[in-house]
Amino acid sequence: MSLSRSPSIHENPTTMRTLRLFLFVFALPIALAFVPASRADAAAPAPSLDDYRHFRAVAIDLLGRMPTRDEVAAFEKPGFSLDAWIEGHLEGGTYTDRLSRVYMDVLRLAPSPSTQFAPDATTLYRHQILGHDKKPVWVYFRARQRRTREETDGEFCLTKEETGVEIAARMQPKNPAEMKPVSKAVLEQHTVLVKPWWLYRDYLSTQPTRRYKMGWDDPDPTYQPVESLLNDPDGKPTMEIRVCREEAQTMTTGHVYVTGRTPPPKGAPMPNGRTRPLPLDSAYAKQHKDEVISCQSKLAVESSTECGCGVALEHCLPNESDQAGGAAFYFPNHIPLGLDQPIDSARQQAQRWYPFWWSQEAEHFLAYLFGADRDFREVLTARYSVINGPLAQFYRAIQPGNCCGGEANFGMVQETEPLFLPANVPTELFPHDVRAWKVVPDRGPHAAGLLTTPMFLEKYASARARGATLYTAFLCKSFSSENAELMPSTEPNLMVRPGCSNCHATLEPLAAYFSRIEPGNLVFLPQQLFPVKNEKCKKGPNGKLPGFCDAFYDVSFADAAGATLRSAYGSPAHADATPAGAGHDIVQMPEFAECAVQRVAGSFLGRTLTTDDGPLVGDLVAGFKKDGYRMRPLVRAILKSNAYRHANNLDSSVWRGGAK
Amino acid sequence: MNRAHRAALALASLAAVATVAVACGPKEIVPPEVGPKLTVTSTTTQDSAPKEELRMVPAEAYMRTYLTLFGGLAPLEVQKRARGADGAQLFDTWDDYFASLGFPDYRIDMPRSQQTNALMVATFERLGVALCDRAVEHDLKAKPPVNERVVFAFEIPPSGATLDKAAFETRFDVLHRTFLAYPAKLAPTDRTARFFKLYEDVHKRHAAAPGKPRLSADEVAWANVCYGLVRHPEFHLY
Repeated sequence: MSLSRSPSIHENPTTMRTLRLFLFVFALPIALAFVPASRADAAAPAPSLDDYRHFRAVAIDLLGRMPTRDEVAAFEKPGFSLDAWIEGHLEGGTYTDRLSRVYMDVLRLAPSPSTQFAPDATTLYRHQILGHDKKPVWVYFRARQRRTREETDGEFCLTKEETGVEIAARMQPKNPAEMKPVSKAVLEQHTVLVKPWWLYRDYLSTQPTRRYKMGWDDPDPTYQPVESLLNDPDGKPTMEIRVCREEAQTMTTGHVYVTGRTPPPKGAPMPNGRTRPLPLDSAYAKQHKDEVISCQSKLAVESSTECGCGVALEHCLPNESDQAGGAAFYFPNHIPLGLDQPIDSARQQAQRWYPFWWSQEAEHFLAYLFGADRDFREVLTARYSVINGPLAQFYRAIQPGNCCGGEANFGMVQETEPLFLPANVPTELFPHDVRAWKVVPDRGPHAAGLLTTPMFLEKYASARARGATLYTAFLCKSFSSENAELMPSTEPNLMVRPGCSNCHATLEPLAAYFSRIEPGNLVFLPQQLFPVKNEKCKKGPNGKLPGFCDAFYDVSFADAAGATLRSAYGSPAHADATPAGAGHDIVQMPEFAECAVQRVAGSFLGRTLTTDDGPLVGDLVAGFKKDGYRMRPLVRAILKSNAYRHANNLDSSVWRGGAK
Repeated sequence: MNRAHRAALALASLAAVATVAVACGPKEIVPPEVGPKLTVTSTTTQDSAPKEELRMVPAEAYMRTYLTLFGGLAPLEVQKRARGADGAQLFDTWDDYFASLGFPDYRIDMPRSQQTNALMVATFERLGVALCDRAVEHDLKAKPPVNERVVFAFEIPPSGATLDKAAFETRFDVLHRTFLAYPAKLAPTDRTARFFKLYEDVHKRHAAAPGKPRLSADEVAWANVCYGLVRHPEFHLY
């Protein structure tokens, strides 16, 4: 009798397949559930090369550097939990820097080398004259300053007869060799001595004593006035500066100054030895003679003889020169690792002082948003910001002097609805506090995240540029035109003009959100004074608008009933919604969350995401929304994803063809 | 026409008719044929890993690592120390390296470099050499306690002596962990052996060099090992 042997399960392919399937579906997950996240027991396997590389990658992304030997040793120890390590490093400066970099790389929020900010009302130039003792003396003054003395009205406060040379802002003196000593009486009559804010920490006191590094011994090391602002022409430390009398005035209000002058006949000689014509009364001045105006406005310097630079000249920024390019402070050109770790320090033009800090405000805004793990939608909607001393001075005293000129014709003689309310600026921040950053909880009702920061508005100077940036940076969409032939056209509406419409139909309504912020400027045009359709700006029979309208209203969208606010034609509703409305609307679009996930995940994976990444992006977007649009859970999910772990799994010898 | 000519003409006519007949005839069918079986000459594992490009270490992370390897100093302090008494011979200024390291310059809308270029590699080389040379001076020449050494955290034999392979391996592992953050034995290639050869070759060549150089043969050999690691692709990629 032969015994037939049953085949063992090893020999039965069907049984083997079933067993493998069982192991895969049931046993493996059960086994994995008991595998500790940390190498808790001594028997745990040593980390593999992949484990080391994953740790190194996570360290580079969270610590902002490669791990040290000690950190690698800690990683190797039994009980090390990478999850816990990641959790502990999803905060701090390098983490926020890593995330901020994602958006700074997209938005590039830094002033271009040509960016200048030097409004006449807030810029002090200086000229050297000879004192009565024949020693050179600096005299500070503003361009276009109104003075009651006819000889110097709108000019430097001393005449050619008094100094020997003709002096004017942004102009080299002619024949400097002819300079003559100015008598003591004349000098004291037209100039005064001031202890300015940039030299004294206690400049607000009646008798300032704490001079920079002479009584004020612990100035912020990043606050560095240039040598020529610290020393007199003879090299001695400057203790006081000489300023034209009008500029040194400290009143907060003045009166509209009207002279009643009429234009001189053609060819008539200049009166009082002047080389330039006397300033005439503006239309606004004639209509508002002797009315009270704020001294913190552009109008004040041109329309009042009673307005100066305020206490210790705090409403003005000094310039070491009579030219626009004069220096004021040292600050770095490059700060790739942040302001605390500059890689250089350069003597910089005065007009770049505030733009430099605008850029820093944007960086600190993002750092706060990510550091506090706030709702990312606030990038476009937040009313808060983060500012330091120079920015506090800018919002409190400088920006108000940036308005108003032509706006006065519409009844706005000073900013009525600024993007950053000066009253909300912390009073404890002094202009010298360059490294003291404070969160301002509320800039004002028109604030909208990054969109209303000076840096964004300066970088993207036109309404269209601002709208396009919203579209590309925060919705990850781009404007690419169809292959259309551009034909000559007189159609001003780009939303319908052939060849233009397929982009501008989207772009113009986005641009309209920004029509209430002046192009290349930060001045907000309130709805009450600047309605979208303004009856004051009717198109005349000559096809033109009244002259004062051109800067604000568009003749292409005007008729006999009025004109349309510039950039608003695409959507009057968006114009009135303002950038705050833009932020509100954009964050509600489904593309916003997906775009944020794509940008952050793409940055961490080091590549552009493709359709192959659809499942990963889908999961991340769902999680991002569920977690309240917070970045910390998103970054955590990315760092733990297989896509991240295996983003560097290509052996170096493969790509390098044999490197050892 | 003689007989021979007639025969030749008939033959030529026949050939022409045959050529035309073949050209216009039915298509020739080549029957399928079973060829010889391919023989297995070697086997290898199929690499199914996703083939994404390696990420370049961000310029910020490179610079922070560099500062850490220099003892955790601020950039301008590192610049001062790296230049030392040699001025720009060993290190220029960070400003000179800013663009070539791949940093974006937002002021001029220059984007971040996502891949290397010749100038960037040359900058890595220059910075790496400066780091290693100063580290040799600090760690091996000045000889602070080992726990205070950031790069060469080990002792080297007295001047003139060379290390055997085993002694080299333990020291090389320290450097490998310092720069590449994993043990040398896990390197996917015979890296330790290759670096040992480099160490030996440099040591030998330098020992035979005339004059009294600034660094000893062992110091130069270790500096060269350091150059190899600080410029290694794995150091710049992740």
